[in-house]
Amino acid sequence: MIEQAEVKDRIREYVVEEFAKSKGINQVSDQEVLTKNGIIDSMGIFRLVAFLEETFNVRIGDEEITNDNLESIDAIERLVISKAKK
Amino acid sequence: MAYILQQLLSKSAKTYPDKMAVWARGRSITYRELDERSNQMAHLLRKLGINKGDRVGLLFPKCVESVISMLGVLKAGGVYVPLDPQAPADRVAYIIGNCGIRVLITNHERRAALNSETLELLECCISTDQGENGKDGKLVPWSHLAEFPADHAPTVNLIETDLAYILYTSGSTGRPKGVMLSHQNALTFVEWCAEEFQVRNEDRLSNHAPLHFDLSVFDIYNTLEAGATVYLITEDLALFPTSLANFIETQGITIWYSVPSALMLLLLHARLTQDKLKSIRTILFAGEVFPMKYLRQLAEMAPWADLYNLYGPTETNVCTYYKVERGRLASLEKLPIGIACANTDAFAVTDDGRRAAQGESGELYVRGPAVTYGYWADPEKTQKMCVPNRFEQNFEEKMYRTGDLVTVAEDGNFYFQGRRDSMIKSRGYRIELGEIESALLSHPGVSEAAVLAVPDEIVGNRLRAVVSLLVPDSLKAFDLQQHCATRVPKYMIPEFVELCLELPKTSTGKIDRVKLAAEPVLAH
Repeated sequence: MIEQAEVKDRIREYVVEEFAKSKGINQVSDQEVLTKNGIIDSMGIFRLVAFLEETFNVRIGDEEITNDNLESIDAIERLVISKAKK
Repeated sequence: MAYILQQLLSKSAKTYPDKMAVWARGRSITYRELDERSNQMAHLLRKLGINKGDRVGLLFPKCVESVISMLGVLKAGGVYVPLDPQAPADRVAYIIGNCGIRVLITNHERRAALNSETLELLECCISTDQGENGKDGKLVPWSHLAEFPADHAPTVNLIETDLAYILYTSGSTGRPKGVMLSHQNALTFVEWCAEEFQVRNEDRLSNHAPLHFDLSVFDIYNTLEAGATVYLITEDLALFPTSLANFIETQGITIWYSVPSALMLLLLHARLTQDKLKSIRTILFAGEVFPMKYLRQLAEMAPWADLYNLYGPTETNVCTYYKVERGRLASLEKLPIGIACANTDAFAVTDDGRRAAQGESGELYVRGPAVTYGYWADPEKTQKMCVPNRFEQNFEEKMYRTGDLVTVAEDGNFYFQGRRDSMIKSRGYRIELGEIESALLSHPGVSEAAVLAVPDEIVGNRLRAVVSLLVPDSLKAFDLQQHCATRVPKYMIPEFVELCLELPKTSTGKIDRVKLAAEPVLAH
């Protein structure tokens, strides 16, 4: 089981390496709205969900793939933690 | 009959004053409010020195104020220039300088991101932020509109051949080019749509495309023409297929228009049922090739809906269309781009300069009142693309070369075959590979650069750059992506960047793109 503090680091690392860097950005704050500034595009959302499911051993339903759950690193962390507790 | 775009609004505002005209982000305005606010905006712009033909930039995410601003600029006699709210400051600066924008309608966040040279060029910004106050002379808050007359627009003597808006698209020489479109250009298309799709007062149209993309012209102006309602889809909805499907169902959208990749995303990830789409009666798509496999799925998901493939570069808006024949869906291998729209002539010209006969291929040419005058402040490019109609001996006329190769098939339809040049499409966006190569080459450490399109079933193409450096190992892929981010929009930054010692060359010394394309894409 991954420690709670580590969850956010892993998410941040993935978002930066996988999405931000190919858009020329190397730092993303935890509150930054990833969907508004074009860091993650429509196909990226599904790569991100696959990563979360695999890394944190959680299951995310299509109906949970929403802006509220995935708009920032903070929001993604909340989603993962709420899933892991179940 | 309307001859300038804002007449569409005046007419509907008289007939349906209390009807909802625009919905966005949970807010909406009626036709009366849209008419009054845009009158006030026009007066404000006049006071700021905007006269007939002056360009006004729009730089903020889609919202109700977007439509007020577009109509306000037109009522002032001006020409609006919708800018990509996600574009880097350098590109925005270029466009503002290129078409001489002096007044920009924007928000606090986007204004703060402008570079100092751009702010120098601008005489004034109007802020769309409701809360913004404090006039420093160069910033007018939105609340200032209330001080101007709402019941009438300023008097301007506009005619149909005056410009209405300029849309910037990717340019092969490294800078975007501004396609100039007149009221007549837009209305030719709007009137054809009104007739072909029978847009009605009770319709609810979606607006999926960004406003700097010509697909939005249908969404906005056909709504106003019919006295219907347009629902602007913002990025928090567009990226999330389940939310988007719920939105379509809840709002009861009746007419949908988008790039095919947006529809494919719904088919693949929204857990669609026929129920979710039950309100939609017409689905229009354009901007890229719709793979038959997904089109068949869409046809099954909305068995009652009319489906149309629309085709046309920004320079012509839509010039040909194909109404999907459900009976042919199973056997059709490739989707036609169809036949010319009303009041538009489209024909293929063979390599030896003849009009192509049935069964032959050639470059598609378009003539008629929907066709652009050309590119803002770029007579050279205009001359290259808008050429004299040599098939007409008795009077002078221009026709537009699309650069698209088509076949004139036995069934009477045009079929798209490919491009004459290196322009590609990704998610419906036009991308000139040369513009990205210029961006890479502008980095002082880069020696050579080639950008290639990697075909992708869903998004059309992904971008791969192969670069050689002046000093080996002096830069990393990320450095180059970061550099591109300052020059081109995010959708034009190469997803894969490979560094090599030297690019392969052909016998004539040119970069060997065929060889590069044959090499496997390295994972990044």
